[in-house]
Amino acid sequence: MIPAVQIDDLAFSHPGDTTPTIDGLSLTIPTGESVAILGPSGAGKTTLLTLLDGRLRRWQGRVSILGLALDPDAPPPLSRRADSGFIFQEFALVERSTVLRNVLNGRLGRMGVLRALLGRPSAHDLSVARAAMTDCGIADLANRRVDSLSGGQRQRVAIARCLAQEPRLILADEPISNLDPARATEILTLLTHAARKRGATTIFTSHQPDLARRFADRIVGLRNGRIVVAAATADLTEDATAALYELNDAARAPQLQVIS
Amino acid sequence: MGRRGYGGYAAGALVAGAVLWSLVTSDMDPSRLLSAGPRIADFLGRMLPPDPSVMKEIIQGSAETLRIAILGTLGAVILSLPLAILASETMVPAAVHRPVRMVLALIRAIPLILVAMLMVGAVGLGPLPGIIAIAFHATGMLAKFYAEAVDGVSRAPIAALESAGAGPLLRLRHAIWPQVAPVIARDTIFRFELNLRESLILGIVGAGGIGFYIQTYVRSFQYDKAASVTIAVIVMVIAIETLNVALRRRFS
Repeated sequence: MIPAVQIDDLAFSHPGDTTPTIDGLSLTIPTGESVAILGPSGAGKTTLLTLLDGRLRRWQGRVSILGLALDPDAPPPLSRRADSGFIFQEFALVERSTVLRNVLNGRLGRMGVLRALLGRPSAHDLSVARAAMTDCGIADLANRRVDSLSGGQRQRVAIARCLAQEPRLILADEPISNLDPARATEILTLLTHAARKRGATTIFTSHQPDLARRFADRIVGLRNGRIVVAAATADLTEDATAALYELNDAARAPQLQVIS
Repeated sequence: MGRRGYGGYAAGALVAGAVLWSLVTSDMDPSRLLSAGPRIADFLGRMLPPDPSVMKEIIQGSAETLRIAILGTLGAVILSLPLAILASETMVPAAVHRPVRMVLALIRAIPLILVAMLMVGAVGLGPLPGIIAIAFHATGMLAKFYAEAVDGVSRAPIAALESAGAGPLLRLRHAIWPQVAPVIARDTIFRFELNLRESLILGIVGAGGIGFYIQTYVRSFQYDKAASVTIAVIVMVIAIETLNVALRRRFS
């Protein structure tokens, strides 16, 4: 079976930076899995997700998404972009528009151009959007304006928009940062259930090893753009688990030696 | 005492000096003010009761003023849309938006009545010079407001739609337009109200509208008719303001 993501010897530096953000990273993610990427701030988590979404240029190495190679010098064709869905940390919603409009925006890459331009979704587009809203528990908010919603509700709109896109790969950037444990559990349950139901592969970044171990089939620990730990959650050794918990601590005390 | 204290005294002295200079050099004879009283009373007396026989002129004049404001605003919108892009800090380099913004500031600095007088000289009497003057004058403000609307667009939803597979045209339609359109609508309504108020006086310089009748009746000492027209103007301004408050709430 073709893996959802295949990364070989990937390297990337932000323009003007002396140290690379991603430094010789290789990783294979099987289709249908739920994967957590752990690591301190600045480890390269968001950069990696953005790159996998086809929105970064000028990197080195080889990256294949769903069996098709990404071009480091050109954005992927629009038809392929809809296959990977991105859930933004700050939600990136159109504030003045309604919940339904925002969720339907996820369908834009799946509709005919004329339908998309006129804002006339088909019955199928509407039913996919409504199913996504139901799965996210916001079906009754369809006609509310996004700028009248709470932070938690907006996050659900952002997730529903991604689901409406019918992506085969879901990339979620810090979906549970700043959430209390109960809310975080709720969101990860919702996200992983909806993804499994649709047969999509999910990659999410996080700072919380406990929840990552509970919800991910596979865990990747990242520091300074390199993989420190990578294993199926079931196969995590005691040392590897300890290393995951130390990732965030190490960020606070950078003089500590890397454990590998 | 600090430097700020001395600065305060200097500013106070400057203001006092300016006021004194104005008082002394303006030929303000108190006896003229006293003798004006009876004349003002006489003036007001002759305005009452307002003469309702000028209804036809009022309707004609109001309709023309309304037409000038509508077409002047339309002209300003058409001029402002491309100029707003050129005045935007996020869409074009500084070498473009700086000079464009300077020109817009210059346009705003020219009083409407002056533009109208020049236009009457250029294209003759009637509503046409009024329309041109309003369109020109309003563009100075409207293009600046539109540019600010464009610059205020949040980038995040644009990236989100790109990620979802939407091309540039769809991103413009579904991420940028919903953010910009209500602001443009609100700014345009606001400018229309200003245009209507300002176009009321255009008739005084022969640039069309209801102002022409006020001018004519005052000059021929028909104060009762002038009063009727003035009441019509007040009613019109209150009506348009009420309408605008309602409309603007819709575009918040």
